[in-house]
Amino acid sequence: MAFLLTCPNCGDRSVYEFRFGGELTQRPKPDSSSNDWTSYFYDRRNAAGTQKEWWYHKFGCRKWIVAARNTITNEVSETAWPDLG
Amino acid sequence: MTKLKAAPRLDPHPTQLIDRSASIEFAFGGRPVQAFEGDTVASALYAAGVRTFSRSFKYHRPRGLLCVAGRCPNCLVNVDGVPNVRSCTEAARPGMNVTSQNAWPSLDRDILSVLDRFGPLMPVGFYYKTFHRPKLFWRLAQPIIRRVAGLGKIDVDSAHPAGYAHQNLHTDVAVVGGGATGISAALSANLGAAVTLIDDSPVLGGHLRFDTTSHSVVPSVDPSPGFEVAAELVRQVRSSAGITVLSNSVAFGLYEDNLLGVLTTDRLVKRRAGRIVMATGSIEQPLVFDGNDRPGVMLSSGAQRLVRLYGVKPGETAVVATATNEGYAAALDLHNAGVRVAALVDTRPEPAWGALPDAVRAAEIPTLVSHAVTLAEGRAEVKAAVVQKLEGGVPIGERQRLACDIICMSGNLEPADALVRQSGGLDIPKNVYAAGSVAGAGNLAQAVDQGRQAGTLAAGSSSELPLAGSSPPERAAPFLSGKKSFVCFCEDISTADIDQAIDEGFDDIQTLKRYSTVTMGPCQGKMCHAAVAAISARATGKSLSEVGSTTSRPPLQPVPMSALAGRVHLPIKRTPMDRKHIDLGAKMVDLGPWRRPFSYGSPQDESISVRERVGIIDVSTLGKLDVRGPDSPALLDKVYTHNFSGLRNGRIRYGVLCADNGTIMDDGTVTRLADDRYFITTTSGNVESIEEWFKWWMAGTDIEAYVTNVTSGFAAINVAGPKARETLSKLTDIDLSTDGFRYMRSKEGVVAGVPSVLLRIGFVGETGWEVHFPGEFGEHMWDALMDAGRDFGIAPFGLEAQRILRLEKGHIIVGQDTDIVSTPLDSDMEWVVRFEKEDFIGRGGLVAARDRGLTNKLVGFRMRDGTVPDDGDPIVDRGQPIGKVTSARLSPTIGKGFGLAWVPVELAEEGRNISIRIAGADVPATVSLTPVYDSEGKRLKE
Ligand code: FES
Repeated sequence: MAFLLTCPNCGDRSVYEFRFGGELTQRPKPDSSSNDWTSYFYDRRNAAGTQKEWWYHKFGCRKWIVAARNTITNEVSETAWPDLG
Repeated sequence: MTKLKAAPRLDPHPTQLIDRSASIEFAFGGRPVQAFEGDTVASALYAAGVRTFSRSFKYHRPRGLLCVAGRCPNCLVNVDGVPNVRSCTEAARPGMNVTSQNAWPSLDRDILSVLDRFGPLMPVGFYYKTFHRPKLFWRLAQPIIRRVAGLGKIDVDSAHPAGYAHQNLHTDVAVVGGGATGISAALSANLGAAVTLIDDSPVLGGHLRFDTTSHSVVPSVDPSPGFEVAAELVRQVRSSAGITVLSNSVAFGLYEDNLLGVLTTDRLVKRRAGRIVMATGSIEQPLVFDGNDRPGVMLSSGAQRLVRLYGVKPGETAVVATATNEGYAAALDLHNAGVRVAALVDTRPEPAWGALPDAVRAAEIPTLVSHAVTLAEGRAEVKAAVVQKLEGGVPIGERQRLACDIICMSGNLEPADALVRQSGGLDIPKNVYAAGSVAGAGNLAQAVDQGRQAGTLAAGSSSELPLAGSSPPERAAPFLSGKKSFVCFCEDISTADIDQAIDEGFDDIQTLKRYSTVTMGPCQGKMCHAAVAAISARATGKSLSEVGSTTSRPPLQPVPMSALAGRVHLPIKRTPMDRKHIDLGAKMVDLGPWRRPFSYGSPQDESISVRERVGIIDVSTLGKLDVRGPDSPALLDKVYTHNFSGLRNGRIRYGVLCADNGTIMDDGTVTRLADDRYFITTTSGNVESIEEWFKWWMAGTDIEAYVTNVTSGFAAINVAGPKARETLSKLTDIDLSTDGFRYMRSKEGVVAGVPSVLLRIGFVGETGWEVHFPGEFGEHMWDALMDAGRDFGIAPFGLEAQRILRLEKGHIIVGQDTDIVSTPLDSDMEWVVRFEKEDFIGRGGLVAARDRGLTNKLVGFRMRDGTVPDDGDPIVDRGQPIGKVTSARLSPTIGKGFGLAWVPVELAEEGRNISIRIAGADVPATVSLTPVYDSEGKRLKE
């Protein structure tokens, strides 16, 4: 693993400056069923292909960003500030 | 022992690297060897008459120099305790201690060479089929196989002395390969970019630097000998300020986004390049015939290197076997060096044409066209070459025996494309250009031209297509099938083995590789990949491009583990009062990133002094977060299970952070300093991840709050004990009276002249204040407190005393008393969870946990006799473990062992009997739900 991530704040940086935060998930509403919560805690899509992921620029600006990465090729097609709407 | 007698060297010549005026001596197997400055270990040994350099991996056959270019497995030796050093690229240094490896008792008489006679016991794929049945046999065979397997011995005491440093560097353009192509690329690229030129030899110039034939690189300039062309190119590189040259450096890996892994003699360089030009050249291939691994059979370029670079005469009589014009150049070099060339054996059906063959004819070197060497006779040294006529690639007819002591062989030149192919696909990755013979250039002028073009493209900002190399024609030198016709020198695999593996069904090159281990040895396919592909093509009736190639992976060349590991970096954080602890003779411990005082002598005495008088402890290691902004109350309500928007200014509340599934992540105190400002402490090791955690829950939301990690900016001292108030009041005007400064309140003020934040909390269960202040006043504050408390018998206390004191109060330590599945509910802290809040992180998981009901609970216990359990001892019921002790100590208060433990919920009642297995014996204890010390919490509040 040696690819670059474009931090919206710091530019192209080595992936070693970042901490991986896992794929983006949708947190259930507070009154959701316990099944929904369990699935949110433990189930992951684990896509073979492009997925949106959290990355934290730990040895940089210490901000969370969202990257679209192909899990097979490590090609990062997009990085952006998170927008959870 | 006797000195190895060196044969005289050839006459001096400008291509030679040796300095005859500088003699050096080193030891080989205990015997002194004479060498010159500029020699490699191998050139000096060869000049001294050494022919067997190593023993082969499987059959322990004697092996001699093959490539003399660092690309094969044949010359591996041990140098000063470092195994698997390639002697043909290792510079000879005075006093070095060279020994052979993989041979016992000696290179010349290796007992394990009997294995060579037992070839049938080790058929191809023998890892998977031999010695497995009967079962007993495998058990006997395994340890023996283990002992003889592997190459070289690791001497743990003689690692690379200083360790390899790691370096991260950037460059606009990296050029891999310092031959004519690479140099031309670097020079062109340097017109518009910073360039790094990476070359694995000690001297730039590639094979051109020992080429004596004439070349005209620029049409208008008169042709001149190759080595002079090379010298001129090198001169131009040296005078270009923008080119950094890394010599003796192997680019062993090409990683994502143009990261090159480069191994130099003392560093591992991770070089990120904007563009890369691959000018890695080509690799001369061995020919395949019986006995082609005998010492004395070498690549023709290997023999040329000995002659041209080191002035070493490779033998007296040579047979040169070739499939290209390269062999003609070698035959001429040998002839000119005074070696009698008994025959030049050309496998091609038609006589060769051009300047080189003409020169060979002029020198009257006997030439046999459409012939092949089919056998090298001899054992530890070549005695003769057997030559036969070829028809349709098959040897037929009479066997001619030509006496000789060396056989030089030259198969095709295969593109050295393994590094480019590491990118995975067949396509050249973007921003990578290939040029020169790796890209199919047929002669020097073409190669130089391609180099220039690639350099210009790489320096420009345009991203044109990579150069399409004129791909080399599909051809392969003929090969002969035999049990001792070696394809793979690293793993001792013959053509017969490959044929058999294909017969057994492993006819895809990838499975063939895995089954036979061909291409998997130290040379990583450099000497064998082309031959395996050709054999596979013939056996399966496919074309070479249909056969394809095995996956190329880093490292291209062996890389020492110590280079990958790098130097040992164990940075340790010290608090601002570190020197005070050392002066006091504290016993220090490393915990997480910090070095902290464990004790200043006796933890029990330190505990008593806190309980009876006053103690101070350095708690600067506490994680400290400053949270401010209008939405900070909302943020804390979200991440903590408790409520913090309702906390009044100047008040403190204990807080627990849970993961969203309800398990405990961290705990600490939250102090509200103002409407929009909080001061938070976390456990010492967790502050970084808690900072990340807070920011994560804010990311992408409109919560307006700012989290700053102020851990290293602040020092902190906890002053605790019945005399804490009197001690502290000597240093401050702040009202510290029971009613003026209540438990769980905070104040900002000046202590010992230093602006501080005081938190009245009681982790150790006494009246006390945690004083936080700017770190630069650490030693000053420590001294001031020690002075102020002298009359009251103040004493510093360490981590261990703090652990005893907090345990007496039943205060937990996250990570010690809780684990990855503990929740606040089973850790007996239900009171910190505010289920009435609509949402908080962990609520979903905690609601589920509450509904499920608890199975285990964290409780206090007391021993009935004088035993003290260890942390981690099991709680047992009729011999079965049902729980465990998380913390246990001897209590100075009750004089008995006590602690915290996880027990099944039905045992979590006051007075229940439990058994703890301590050192093999089951010892009775009693569950106790009240703290050992001050169960009503009066001392805290006094
Ligand atoms: S002879 Fe040294 S690596 Fe080939």
